[in-house]
Amino acid sequence: MKRTAVYPFTAIVGQNDMKLALILNIINPALGGVLIKGEKGTAKSTAVRALAELLPQMDVVHGCKFNCNPHEPHLLCDSCAQIYASGTPFTIEKAKMRVVELPVSATEDRVVGTLDIEHAIKHGEKKFEAGILAQANRNILYVDEINLLDDHVVDVLLDAAAMGINTVEREGVSYSHPARFVLVGTMNPEEGDIRPQLLDRFGLSVVVVGEHEPEQRVEVIKRRLAYEADADAFIASYKDEQEKLAARIMQARSLLAQVTIADDLLAKVARLSIELGVDGHRADITVIKTALTLAAFNGRQQVELEDVKGAARLVLPHRMRRRPFEEGQLDWSKVESFLA
Amino acid sequence: MFKQAIYPFAAIVGQEEVKQAVLAALVNPQVGGLLIGGRKGTAKTTLVRSAQALLPNQEIINLPLNVTEDMLFGSIDIEQAVSKGERKFLLGIMNRADGQFIYIDEANLLRQELLLAVLDTNEAGFNHVERDGISYEQAVQYTVLATMNPEEGTLSQPILDRFGMYVDVQNEERLEQRVEIIKRNIAFSRDMEHFQAVYAQANAALALKIAQARKLLPTIEFTAAMIKLAAQMCAQAFCAGHRAELYLLETARALAALAGRNYLLPQDMDRAAVYVLPHRMRIPPEQEENNPNQEQEEDTDSEVKEEQDNDSADSAEHVTPPQSPDTEDAPPDAEGQQDGDNDIQPQQEPDKQQTAPEEELAAIDRKFVLPKIVVEMGKNNLKRRGSGKRSITRTDLKQGRYVRAELPKGKVEDLAFDATIRAAAPYQVLRVANDCALNIHKDDLRQKVREKRIGNTFLFAVDASGSMGARKRMGAVKGAIFYMLQDAYQKRDRVGMLAFRRDRAEVLLPITRSVDLAQKCLAEMSTGGKTPLADALAVSLQLLTRMNKQDSEMEPILVLVTDGRANAVEADGGDPVAAAVKMAERLRRAAITSVVIDTESDFIKLGIAKKIAQAMGASYYSLQKLSKEQILHIVRQIEK
Repeated sequence: MKRTAVYPFTAIVGQNDMKLALILNIINPALGGVLIKGEKGTAKSTAVRALAELLPQMDVVHGCKFNCNPHEPHLLCDSCAQIYASGTPFTIEKAKMRVVELPVSATEDRVVGTLDIEHAIKHGEKKFEAGILAQANRNILYVDEINLLDDHVVDVLLDAAAMGINTVEREGVSYSHPARFVLVGTMNPEEGDIRPQLLDRFGLSVVVVGEHEPEQRVEVIKRRLAYEADADAFIASYKDEQEKLAARIMQARSLLAQVTIADDLLAKVARLSIELGVDGHRADITVIKTALTLAAFNGRQQVELEDVKGAARLVLPHRMRRRPFEEGQLDWSKVESFLA
Repeated sequence: MFKQAIYPFAAIVGQEEVKQAVLAALVNPQVGGLLIGGRKGTAKTTLVRSAQALLPNQEIINLPLNVTEDMLFGSIDIEQAVSKGERKFLLGIMNRADGQFIYIDEANLLRQELLLAVLDTNEAGFNHVERDGISYEQAVQYTVLATMNPEEGTLSQPILDRFGMYVDVQNEERLEQRVEIIKRNIAFSRDMEHFQAVYAQANAALALKIAQARKLLPTIEFTAAMIKLAAQMCAQAFCAGHRAELYLLETARALAALAGRNYLLPQDMDRAAVYVLPHRMRIPPEQEENNPNQEQEEDTDSEVKEEQDNDSADSAEHVTPPQSPDTEDAPPDAEGQQDGDNDIQPQQEPDKQQTAPEEELAAIDRKFVLPKIVVEMGKNNLKRRGSGKRSITRTDLKQGRYVRAELPKGKVEDLAFDATIRAAAPYQVLRVANDCALNIHKDDLRQKVREKRIGNTFLFAVDASGSMGARKRMGAVKGAIFYMLQDAYQKRDRVGMLAFRRDRAEVLLPITRSVDLAQKCLAEMSTGGKTPLADALAVSLQLLTRMNKQDSEMEPILVLVTDGRANAVEADGGDPVAAAVKMAERLRRAAITSVVIDTESDFIKLGIAKKIAQAMGASYYSLQKLSKEQILHIVRQIEK
């Protein structure tokens, strides 16, 4: 079944933080994904689904269930590794990076993969049937209402996210395969919180609120009506903008490897983390990686203070410890003064 | 291959103590395994995974959280059974791990009985399986390496005891080190192969060190003096059993071998103690008795005093300003809990507190601190104790983790394909061939048994009437609710609150897991007025019955906080106390677990709350001073 038309990403009014966070993750899939918090009807899901069109082409090994990258011998699945070891050149094909959805009702066996029942009954042999995590390798894994996900499914997500590997030991099959994905989750905080372990796995987080300016609101409605009236024409009218953004993302991707950062900026970020008392080192590392990516998106080869500030705004808020009676919000002036 | 995409062990910055522990566990299989605790993002997983590169001939086998029993213990080999009609045993992880290492990430999230099986099988030295019509026994010996994040709940004391070593990973606080961590991490993610090549030599040196230490190991003897020292250390830490001494000696031996010596020094024992003792220290016996359970005199005052103070309070009614943020308020710490013990008298089960093992444990780390041994566990002991209580329920819905298969009772709804195939496999040679490799009969069918972790649902019904202390009660309950919701991710608890005053009960917070919602709903609370106790109980009953219908697997608990002075006149002009007692009896008939916290503090006590508690079949607590900590303490008590 082919999905119907998708609302263009560039036609979403406002919500700049959310859009930026998503774009940064396409440029650098190692950032660790993004958690989008907000009330209903704030274009969260629209934005994530709209992302599909901007996603770049990538090289994959032909026929590989895990979309292995032929240029990364370190990250090949077992069968691709065998081919690589035998010296046979890979058949390479182009595939678009995808948004793979994990529905909240998904069962554990569908997520991690399981015994191929049909094969077992027909041939009396065990075969691994790949799950959602296999499809998600090198793609975007999108979980709507991630805070409502069953605990044991969260556990296996954490497991895979921690190592970039999905290890399956269930129902008669023993198998492991690479599972490196960009985790994108949306949630409405009023429907319950997300487990801190999972929260920490998200590189970036943004809070979206409905637009308050009447003009903006009118614009939102206008575009939505136009889209519903004639989706094809609407999409066509944003074609240029979409292509421009996609090109900018591709440029940033190739520039990313050359971006450098000065030592004093590194020290500033480290000092900030110590000062704020965040857990572990993921905060520091992610701020820097995000800053590098931001610089690349802005077409620069050198990280500037502005990039670090912008990165901190996306990386730090959800890593602050929360206490009773406290909003999980960061004293921004403190961060500002540190990064001044 | 993807398993080699690992950060080099030698490139990990700092964490010397943890690295040493990992090396010791790699060198000596007798140390009893290693558990690494630490908050998120402290390189726990990296530390263990990177150790693989130091082991040329051994494998670190990952035990994932999704493991099913047949894979762990081993089961019938269906391929063999179908093609040859032979019952052959397919090795489980524990068999495959013989002579190797088993790695469990987030061990506290693994099902406890599986974790126990992994640890006990190693202790026993053999894996004995009776499954799928197969009997199999194999001697096994492996080392368990596990990590956990205490934030998500900790392991129970008996399980902790089974780990030889425990080490806590801390954040790196030194600036230059932190910068170095960032730099190396970026370098690794930019060019993995180059980065690994840079550290290949350092890694090889470590691998050599391990190999040499292993050779040295058997030559190191335990002298009588060292054995005595071990016994003294363990006695001082009040370790249960005698495993501790052995672990201590073996760890010291590994450390000595790593230092290139063939004899033990007292300093090896000191260093080993840091790994072996902290997680198994017990409370000293004399301090244990130091927890008197003052039985409060029964309040038998039969004289019923006039209900007085409430009418005047009515006029003084006012809206309380939003509670000022109580940020100083740390989680109820050890001290607070101790105070609570003295104030709280559970009069129904007077000896429960003293004998409850959890209680003793909670007291350990704060009272008994060996020098230089600091364990993070001690800090939030209360929290961790509670989290072990997360209820696990068998579930009939098709939700939850598939744990094992069973013979179906009646119609099969949730078919366990793998178990069905295993059951059918041995008979395939005898059965009539069809188009498939397998001919499955009805009696082969197996059904999945699933388990689901659920939390408790607490409904607080709080007396907000004009009698003394209403605001205090509300504040304390509010504080407790926030704390419980902060914890909700850990314990899966849901909390709601209703207040009763004037002539009716009002739901202030619908039952929820959301901190945000609680913040919005409980920002301001009114107090004053009369006490419509009966109405409060009626609304509670209604709410909880509805919850029960929505989710039959959840057991709701009603916590009634009142001074019991029911005085709102009933619609029919009846006696308010009698009406409340009648309602309470209905709650008991609905089989709702309940607790009454009596805050009556007047000199002459009426004991109405107690009467209600009896009618409800509730546990009854009488508190002189009400605080957030005490409420939490009582709540934890119920969860047990």
